[in-house]
Amino acid sequence: MKNNLLKKMFFAAIMLTSSVIFAQTVSGTVSDANGPLPGASIVVKGTENGTTTDFDGNYTLDNVSSEDTLVISFLGFITQEIVAGSQSVIDVVLEEDAENLDEVIVTALGIKKTRASITYAAQDIKADELNRVKQSNPINSLSGKVAGLSITKSASGVGGSVKVVLRGNSSIGNNQPLYVVDGIPLSNPTAGQPTNTFGDINGGNVDGGDALSLINPDDIESMTVLKGASASALYGSAGLNGVILITTKKGKAGSFKVDFSSNLTVDSPAYMMDFNSEAEDNIDGFLETGYTNINSLAISGGSEKAQTFFSYSNSFADGVMPTNSLKQHTISVRETAKLFNDKLTVNASVMASTQKIKNRPISGLYFNPLVGVYSFDSPGEKLRDYEIFEEYDPGRNIMAQRWFRGTSDIEQNPYWITNRNASEDINNKFLGSLNLGYEINDWLSLTARGTYDKSMFQFERKIYATTEATLAPANGRYIVTEQDITQLYGDFLVNINKQLSEKVSLNAIVGTSTTRTTNESFVGDSGTNGGLQFANVFSYQNFNGNPSVNFTQNSLESRTNSVFVSATVGYADMLFLDVTGRNDWSSTLPSENNSFFYPSVGLTGVISEMTDLGDKISFAKVRASYAEVGSGFLPDQINPNRPIIFGGGGVGQDPIRPFPGSTPKPERQKSFEIGTEWRFLNNRYGIDIGYYNTKTTDQYYAFATSVAVIGAPQAYLNSGEISNQGVEATIYATPIQNDDFSWTSTLNFATNKNEIVKIYDGQQLDGLIEPEFFTLSPKGVNTFGSYLVEGGSFGDIYAQVVRRDSNGYPVVDNGTVVMDDDNLVDGLTKVGNANPDFTLGWNNSFNYKNFTLDFLIDGKFGGETMSMTEAIVEGISNNSARETANANVTVVDLNGNQSTLTAQEYYGKVGGRNGFTGEYVYSATNVRLAEFALGYNFNLGDDSFFRRIKASVVGSNLFFFYKDAPHDPNVSLSTGNALQGVDVLGLPSSRSIGLNINLTF
Amino acid sequence: MMKNNKYRLLACLVVLSLVVTSCSDLEDYNVNDRNISEEQLEVDFQHVGSKYKPMFESIYQYTPAWSYQLQQNLNADVYSGYMTNPRPFVAGANNTTYNLVSGWNNFIWSVPYSNVIDNAKAIEELTKDEIPALNGVALILKVAGMHRVTDVFGPIVYTNFGDLENAGVYDSQEEVYNAFFTDLDTAVASLEANIDGEQFQAFDLSYGGNYASWIKLANSLRLRLAIRLSVVAPTTAQTEGEKALSNSYGLMVSNDDGFYVNSALDHPLSVIDNSWGDIRMNASMESILTGYGDARIGSLFNESPDYPGEYKGIRNGLPLQAGYADELEQKAAYIGLSNMNDAVKTSKVQLMTTAEVYFLKAEAGLRGWANAGDTQANYETGISMSFSQHGASGSAAYIADAVSTPADYVDPVNAANNIAAMSTITVAWNGADSNEMKLEKIITQKWIAMFPEGQEAWSEYRRTGYPKIFPVVSNQSAGTIDTDVQIRRIPFVDSELSTNPDGVSGAVTLLGGPDNGGTRLWWDTGSNF
Repeated sequence: MKNNLLKKMFFAAIMLTSSVIFAQTVSGTVSDANGPLPGASIVVKGTENGTTTDFDGNYTLDNVSSEDTLVISFLGFITQEIVAGSQSVIDVVLEEDAENLDEVIVTALGIKKTRASITYAAQDIKADELNRVKQSNPINSLSGKVAGLSITKSASGVGGSVKVVLRGNSSIGNNQPLYVVDGIPLSNPTAGQPTNTFGDINGGNVDGGDALSLINPDDIESMTVLKGASASALYGSAGLNGVILITTKKGKAGSFKVDFSSNLTVDSPAYMMDFNSEAEDNIDGFLETGYTNINSLAISGGSEKAQTFFSYSNSFADGVMPTNSLKQHTISVRETAKLFNDKLTVNASVMASTQKIKNRPISGLYFNPLVGVYSFDSPGEKLRDYEIFEEYDPGRNIMAQRWFRGTSDIEQNPYWITNRNASEDINNKFLGSLNLGYEINDWLSLTARGTYDKSMFQFERKIYATTEATLAPANGRYIVTEQDITQLYGDFLVNINKQLSEKVSLNAIVGTSTTRTTNESFVGDSGTNGGLQFANVFSYQNFNGNPSVNFTQNSLESRTNSVFVSATVGYADMLFLDVTGRNDWSSTLPSENNSFFYPSVGLTGVISEMTDLGDKISFAKVRASYAEVGSGFLPDQINPNRPIIFGGGGVGQDPIRPFPGSTPKPERQKSFEIGTEWRFLNNRYGIDIGYYNTKTTDQYYAFATSVAVIGAPQAYLNSGEISNQGVEATIYATPIQNDDFSWTSTLNFATNKNEIVKIYDGQQLDGLIEPEFFTLSPKGVNTFGSYLVEGGSFGDIYAQVVRRDSNGYPVVDNGTVVMDDDNLVDGLTKVGNANPDFTLGWNNSFNYKNFTLDFLIDGKFGGETMSMTEAIVEGISNNSARETANANVTVVDLNGNQSTLTAQEYYGKVGGRNGFTGEYVYSATNVRLAEFALGYNFNLGDDSFFRRIKASVVGSNLFFFYKDAPHDPNVSLSTGNALQGVDVLGLPSSRSIGLNINLTF
Repeated sequence: MMKNNKYRLLACLVVLSLVVTSCSDLEDYNVNDRNISEEQLEVDFQHVGSKYKPMFESIYQYTPAWSYQLQQNLNADVYSGYMTNPRPFVAGANNTTYNLVSGWNNFIWSVPYSNVIDNAKAIEELTKDEIPALNGVALILKVAGMHRVTDVFGPIVYTNFGDLENAGVYDSQEEVYNAFFTDLDTAVASLEANIDGEQFQAFDLSYGGNYASWIKLANSLRLRLAIRLSVVAPTTAQTEGEKALSNSYGLMVSNDDGFYVNSALDHPLSVIDNSWGDIRMNASMESILTGYGDARIGSLFNESPDYPGEYKGIRNGLPLQAGYADELEQKAAYIGLSNMNDAVKTSKVQLMTTAEVYFLKAEAGLRGWANAGDTQANYETGISMSFSQHGASGSAAYIADAVSTPADYVDPVNAANNIAAMSTITVAWNGADSNEMKLEKIITQKWIAMFPEGQEAWSEYRRTGYPKIFPVVSNQSAGTIDTDVQIRRIPFVDSELSTNPDGVSGAVTLLGGPDNGGTRLWWDTGSNF
């Protein structure tokens, strides 16, 4: 059957090529150096007979005579004219127009558009820039390189998760953007993030990790950041916080190619508070120099019909925290093939990754070795003396913890913690996808895609007997948590790509998609009360069947079905109107309210096409867009089942439910943006500047309610409004460009103003009154908190503040420090905000002959950060440098009489996790040399086995030009909304220096 | 060719799956089926039955232990003179020194509202018409749980609970007590009508599903509440008391009739006492038990490890004393005094003893209520009942002791806290004593017999002034609470002030005095006859 078909096609091809002069059908592919170009225009010169290329750069044009000249054009490329002649297949490779450089960028759903035509802000980062100074989590490489993108590493060392916020925080729920790989949403679950300043008694403040850290940075071809909702409205609720599109490498037609890269960096703990010399010695003796080694191998090649890409990478790292290590392996295979006379394009890919982390560093006070390390002050002894962390206890016939004094819930022997409270994380990811494209005719094609995306997180902590009693009972404790998240995604798109007339083009997509997410989790925790039968046996069969043992499984499944449409109408390459609409039906919403619609509209005018701006201006455009998006809820949030307590504990406390009588509705966000882009002097200089304004309403808060009215202390209600507005600008320049030497430079600037317009819509409901604040980070028993207060902003830091007189002296009455109790929220005073006023990233590349030099200076200006680390160290020890120095602090009493306290007395009074934390708030302003790379490209002869050899010396986080805080303010304890702008004994940030080698053959 | 076929098959599958799955019902998703739905709970009537367990376990909350610590241990258990915290929390500025910590006291309110009365309401809706006996048990548990709340605060939300028409409107304490009596009427009637019913057997953590035992509890509880009103509302008190005394199922008679919750969970006091070292014997307990040479002392308390051979308690309301750098240093000095013994070796929480009922009958007799029986006999049976409950011997000699009186207290750590005994009352009954003296004897003995249930002991101390317990060492109430009169109530809690301010302002009016710890409750008249 198929042989027949092929035969027929073969004869048809012969017939066509043998016919002369007569009208014929011409088809082919238009591409550029990087691949196919969708939307390129092919017109028979002097006629209105024309078409545009489809999604894969293919076109078919009827009624072409052999004497006709085809005009193939695409914005940003040099127009080509080709006489049709007798060819029936005309493939064209367009060259970039140096006069009008304009790359193609990938937009929502993988739709490629020219930069000129898009109506919103988007920024591209290519692979070489991402991997110049390699980071184990590739997203960290975006820091400072995209205006308006805030990247915060977690303080959990190598393999840690990352917090990404685009254009400011807008939601009390999730503020992380959507990640899209080759057009398909990636599931990026974060397995649990710390929320409590004190720490988590159930295993510590653990960073559960995220799926992004499981991606091989060398598999990434480029990343595109779609900043606003206008850009991502096609993704519906998932795109509420912007989208980061990841395009992966694929095999290319042509010769077989092998890329190998190896990266070894040495990491030293660099940025921590000032300790006195004894404490510093002890800390230096405890923390170690770490190393990170990332190796990757990629093999690609193929024919015109089928291409293959294969890659393998591994990472090995030893952290600066003793016993902390990481091992990771990632494998990827991608196949691309064209079938049925190139009508059907098949893309199939599989990625699998596994990661094992021992003793991932944690923050907070529980299970944190740093408490004992920082506060060790046993006279005449060194911390190293306690490296032998256990001793024989004849009473129990057991090896028991050894420490210079009684242990407490927060303080144990640090070596005991790293060896006898040890943890292990095993995280795996599997991503398989299939993408089928079928071309029906020259203007219509179909695409069907599907992915199976699975992320698995496992955490285990084995806590030996004689660990402090609050953390573990006499026989020890065993904690296991597992999370298994599976996302199935499928979509079906109809692509329309038609030149309606010589000047009017239409690019449209109509589609439907479905996403099903299942989240299976398990917790097995023998608990703090008699959970284990026999000491130091860590298995479930050793658990006692009592209700203080936690055995919990949870299984959540949600489904979103969608239809969407997107259309871009272009007029003469100078005016583009972009309209999108999407409707989601989400299972997480109540059935009467489960459908919601997201529209967006945008307009771009290319001024440089409309009018002649002269020689100096090579390109100019203006853009404006508006979008409305929304977000659904967590699964099982609307009508949750009741929990069951293990060990005969019966039915647990009823979960928080919607306020009686209310019908929950999705959170809404309206956003508007305008921008303009200008390029000068043959594109050597350019500026892109934009302004945006977003308003988020109907947040789904859990309000405090009267138990005497509704029988529950909290209930959900839609309320509130948060606004963000800001300016983003990117300036780029190539000040020097000649054969031997070039210098390119990019400056990214962003500023965002966040305002909590209101947290309450004024609903008059019995049992609920106007709340004064909404809690992001509860203070608990400590004196750090973060609250949403009307008129305040997201990320506000609250502390307990010392009252000061008019001269600024602290008021100390009768030996007691007096608290400033004006304008309290939850008993604390606002002292700053975790977010910067503005950010600047300055990225530079120099090329001189075979040398390359790249560096990135990353600056954050404004904002505050609290060092609860310093407060705790000063509260429980006298190990800080300023406590040891013979300094005095002037204080006044209630009558204004001055006296002095020694620094040790004063900081002893104000220190502690629940002390006067206002004394430990610093400016978060910092400017650092974030990346540095000096490389050399070896000269290779034409007959060399290698095609390319490049060696670089690389460094990251090398030093701060300016920093006020005692810790690195670019690191956060949590990638969620809690614990921002505070360091509570987080792992000190490292300086990394290393070597990178790239080989291509 | 094989490969092409495979791709085509895959393509079809993708398209097919899209078409098919898009049509499925969204409501099938979104449910955590590892947890339990109301529908699944209906098997074996667990949708009703499972609601009793949190009621049983939260009248005096089992878990987490710190919740009970805030619900009762750091207020009533200390105010009753039973126990003292060796650690001066919040640098000595806490509930026990009358610097009332609202964040703690929220638990006195929230625990019963979100575990007891809300489940009672849900059970009422499910069973009132179909299985009234099950509602009857829930009503008894509700009264047992909520009378403790009104006895702490005064006016509470009771009749309007869960009623969105009169949302959050407080009842006066008089209205609440009247509602208790009505609820007990309903409960007893429904149980009497179905006395052999077995519906509650699977869910009963106290009486094995025996409705006759529940009626005895209802009667005993009614007598407790009636006695509480004996001065403020003597007519109602007598009517209700006599109703309890004359019910055909009777009151608790033997120790087996006592009201205990048999949970699989650890006794919360054992966690607070043994694991945390946060609670020890009170000086008043030491004074009265050692003064009388009470044989029960060894089962109630352990000898002090720091002072072997002695039972040593700690004064109420210790501030952070001079000479101690911080709370933990002071705690270290006091933690070696006497801690609890029997009470923390069991997982049973004691809510009402049979001995208490005999003392209630003794007081009823003193007040001339019908069917109360002989006052002296009830008094002496109460004592011997308590001795046998604790396995102590020598009750006859103890009952006959007309000499021993409470002992002076010596603080072995800090002599500044030494204090002379507050009373010279003895144990032996003397028909010639004044009613006031008789009442002091009854209440003093009842106080010993109710240990460690501090809530009822504090209520009875406030109503009668007995036993005469030591005042706080440090009074940090800023003049709102008189040191000698001692604390009378707990102010309305912050969570109510912020979520139900209209309700609270109505409650303050009903309270008839300022919303602080010095205002007396309705039944707290300051006189006994």
